[in-house]
Amino acid sequence: MKRFLLLVLFLVGLGWALTTYPGLATQGTYNSIILDFREDVGAAQIESQLEAIAQQHLVSPRYNSEFSLDDHIFVVKGDQSLLKKLQQSPLRKLTEYIEPNYIYSKYAIPNDPEYGKQWNFRSINVEQAWDETKGKDITVAVIDTGISPVPDLENTKFAAGYDFVNDQAEAKDDNGHGTHVAGTIAQSTNNSFGVAGIAYEASLMPLKVLSAEGGGTVADIAEAIRFAADHEADVINMSLGGGGESSLMKEAIAYAHSKNVVVVAAAGNSGRNAAEYPARYPYVIGVSALDAAGNKTPYSNYGAGIDISAPGGLISGEDKAGGILQNTVNPLTGESVFEAYQGTSMAAPHVAGVAALVKAMGVEHPDEVEEAIKQSAFPVKDDNLNEYGAGRLNAAEAVKVAGRGKFSFKDFFRWLRDNGYLNPRFWFDGGIIALWPKVLMVLGSYLLAWFLKHYFPFAWTWSMATGLVMGSSGLFFLRGLYIYDAPQWPFRLMGSSIPELGTAIQATGLLNPFFASVLIPLALIALLLGHSQLKWFAIGTTIGVSVCLAVSAVMDPALMWLGDGAIARIFLAGNALLCLALARLVLKPEGRIAS
Amino acid sequence: MSIQLEGKIERKGFGPGTWALVTTDGETYELRKAPTDLQKDGLNVKVSGQIRDDVMTFAMVGPVLEVEQFEIRD
Repeated sequence: MKRFLLLVLFLVGLGWALTTYPGLATQGTYNSIILDFREDVGAAQIESQLEAIAQQHLVSPRYNSEFSLDDHIFVVKGDQSLLKKLQQSPLRKLTEYIEPNYIYSKYAIPNDPEYGKQWNFRSINVEQAWDETKGKDITVAVIDTGISPVPDLENTKFAAGYDFVNDQAEAKDDNGHGTHVAGTIAQSTNNSFGVAGIAYEASLMPLKVLSAEGGGTVADIAEAIRFAADHEADVINMSLGGGGESSLMKEAIAYAHSKNVVVVAAAGNSGRNAAEYPARYPYVIGVSALDAAGNKTPYSNYGAGIDISAPGGLISGEDKAGGILQNTVNPLTGESVFEAYQGTSMAAPHVAGVAALVKAMGVEHPDEVEEAIKQSAFPVKDDNLNEYGAGRLNAAEAVKVAGRGKFSFKDFFRWLRDNGYLNPRFWFDGGIIALWPKVLMVLGSYLLAWFLKHYFPFAWTWSMATGLVMGSSGLFFLRGLYIYDAPQWPFRLMGSSIPELGTAIQATGLLNPFFASVLIPLALIALLLGHSQLKWFAIGTTIGVSVCLAVSAVMDPALMWLGDGAIARIFLAGNALLCLALARLVLKPEGRIAS
Repeated sequence: MSIQLEGKIERKGFGPGTWALVTTDGETYELRKAPTDLQKDGLNVKVSGQIRDDVMTFAMVGPVLEVEQFEIRD
């Protein structure tokens, strides 16, 4: 048991170390090399050395500037291979350093006249990301109200889409929302008109599922997800949400994920503590919304299901400067307008656009794209309510991480994802509710043991602690571990406390009254009382079971055959008391001996 | 199953905007197919309709309520 605990701790530690390893510093580009000769090397010697370099490598060394003569600094044209040769040549001894002459470039600012109003793009550092990629050859499906060919989408490429509302091939926008969302992703940029988009060399796939009024059915949306996956979309953006859990939609998302599609969805605008569906499904990157100052907006949902935050804008009254500005259509007239909107609907396409950039850098698997985006986010400290997920979106860093080709923890992560998958539902959706009783059980059992220790002094031992954990909560985090193609019940079994063992294999959530009773503690004590070490395991278990049953009696009294009413409650409470009495009985003489 | 709600009509500024009912106890419902007579900010109303669990929207301000009957209380 101890070994197993140590192994678990080791794996957790290893994971932490790997995830926080920063990797090697990123390298810039250069096409020349700097030579700095030592101060004590004479001018004549330098000259002869430079001549030798010139002849040997067919280059012409020169002063960097008129000031560098005194500093003995010279520059030669050359690449990595010349740098290596020079660093290995006898020159090494005569110089202070030989290093690449990195090029520092000013990031290109697009010529779109209204770009200055797009604070949201500067806050995600998109200009630096554009130095690397603009999303070429990537297709982003926009599942929304459709996309209209407004003037500032003139240079933007389109992939064939579909209108699931009116069942036709053309998916024009009769609302304005979808065109706006599409604009954030791939508005025509550097076209001297209007505003910019994030991945403006990517193609847009318009999929209309929301009517002019702004609503659509889960059935249509699920179909649109499958359509995108089957028509080679790389990224799906869903700035929509609501309703209940649907297996149809969940399966469609899992299907898209299996086809390497990154799925991004908005968290929702009701300001509540949990993302809406589809953002909360597994394999979906849920996005909360930030204002211009980088704070979570009051309308944005937070908590369970939030993976990252991005600009969604905040409009107060008539001043729309805090909103997200894109080209869209006026729903009443159908005319092109530049409009500032707010909402998590606006935040999601920022992440979808960056996902397109990351994919364009050659990262294929959606989990790796998600990790690149999360790993590169600006972290937010003390985010206890999970308002920001991994942090604030950072396009420049996401692209840089993607360009490194491998993430510092890639192998570990691959291993986790390919072989074992920590079910997000455990940690998020169900987790928050199911986690508290477990924590209460562990803490409660320690508290009770501490309390008993006060009256009947005994020494803490590993056996005692193991017993407390096994009796109360078990290694409950193991219950959330899933490994593809392997049965899950061994994890449930290993992750179960003793009272849960009776039903761990069936995973019913009910307790078996034979296991959830004083019987096992009684048997353990009867068997182990004679053993000096294992006795403490039996006592720890008894205390643990007592607290587990008490917590279950109060919070979730569900028993096989006995139901979940008063009978179950009385049964559990009665057995909790019996366990307590048993622990007290065994400890009493022990206490006397010890004191 | 039909539910009855009382509250105030509000225009919510998400995307091009949407109509919502904010009930007296502070819950927000997004109105689906809001009748033209209900499309007025600040209107006090009594509404009955169905919660549409199978519908998603871009406004995402709360459960979607498909209005069947309404009564303007002002």
